[in-house]
Amino acid sequence: MQISTEELDGGITKVVLDGRMDIAGAQAVDLKMNLAAGSSKKLLIDLQKVSFLGSMGLGSIVRPARAVNSRGGKVVLFAPTEMVESVLKTAGIDSLLPIHHDLAAAIAALQ
Amino acid sequence: MPGEHTVKPQPRLTLQGQLGELARVWPWIEALASEYSIPAGTQFAIQLCLEEALSNIVRHGQSDQPITVDCARSAANRELMFTLEDHGPAFDPLAPSEFEKTPAPTSIDQLQVGGQGIRLMRRFAGSLAYQRLPGGNRLTIGFALPR
Repeated sequence: MQISTEELDGGITKVVLDGRMDIAGAQAVDLKMNLAAGSSKKLLIDLQKVSFLGSMGLGSIVRPARAVNSRGGKVVLFAPTEMVESVLKTAGIDSLLPIHHDLAAAIAALQ
Repeated sequence: MPGEHTVKPQPRLTLQGQLGELARVWPWIEALASEYSIPAGTQFAIQLCLEEALSNIVRHGQSDQPITVDCARSAANRELMFTLEDHGPAFDPLAPSEFEKTPAPTSIDQLQVGGQGIRLMRRFAGSLAYQRLPGGNRLTIGFALPR
């Protein structure tokens, strides 16, 4: 599991996740996810390259989102695959964090 | 001939009761997927349900006791059945829980991550059945096979 961050215009931090967010994958990204959440109020989590998401991986998204939310910030999820989006919807996350498949729309949602 | 020396996946995976052992599940599923021509979406569902079920078993069970996962086609060849057996205390993951009775969260702060596992299993498994065994538990999870 790989994680990288990129600073976009408007104070947006884009976090790119790549790989399987299973138990091992979640453990591998937790620290960097928390660091990104602690230093940004506008977080765009790019899920395009996430090939698997389990409940442990959900925690790696939800906990940083809570941290950003508690500081008055915003989090959007970008471009999950069909199966990953199905996991997010089953957990009810789609009604709490916006999911966008268009980058411009995802960025606009953070403004 | 191509594939002549292909090694068939073992129909049984035996794991020790530790979360780190779950890393062995995905390579096994990939081997089974090749053997049974399992579509990618079903592979995802199998991995999801086995990870959720096995992590529950590890959390509620005993680390020094093995957990077995058996894979077989159903009698009518319509489902791929996974049978998980452990030697832990009685634990029925399909029993109604307090989590399922709680109203839907209205903010990310209210969302409980713990407890999502059974919700995901109900959504992604084709069939689920629990049986208490003498000194253990059996959970059977089925997935439809392509016709």
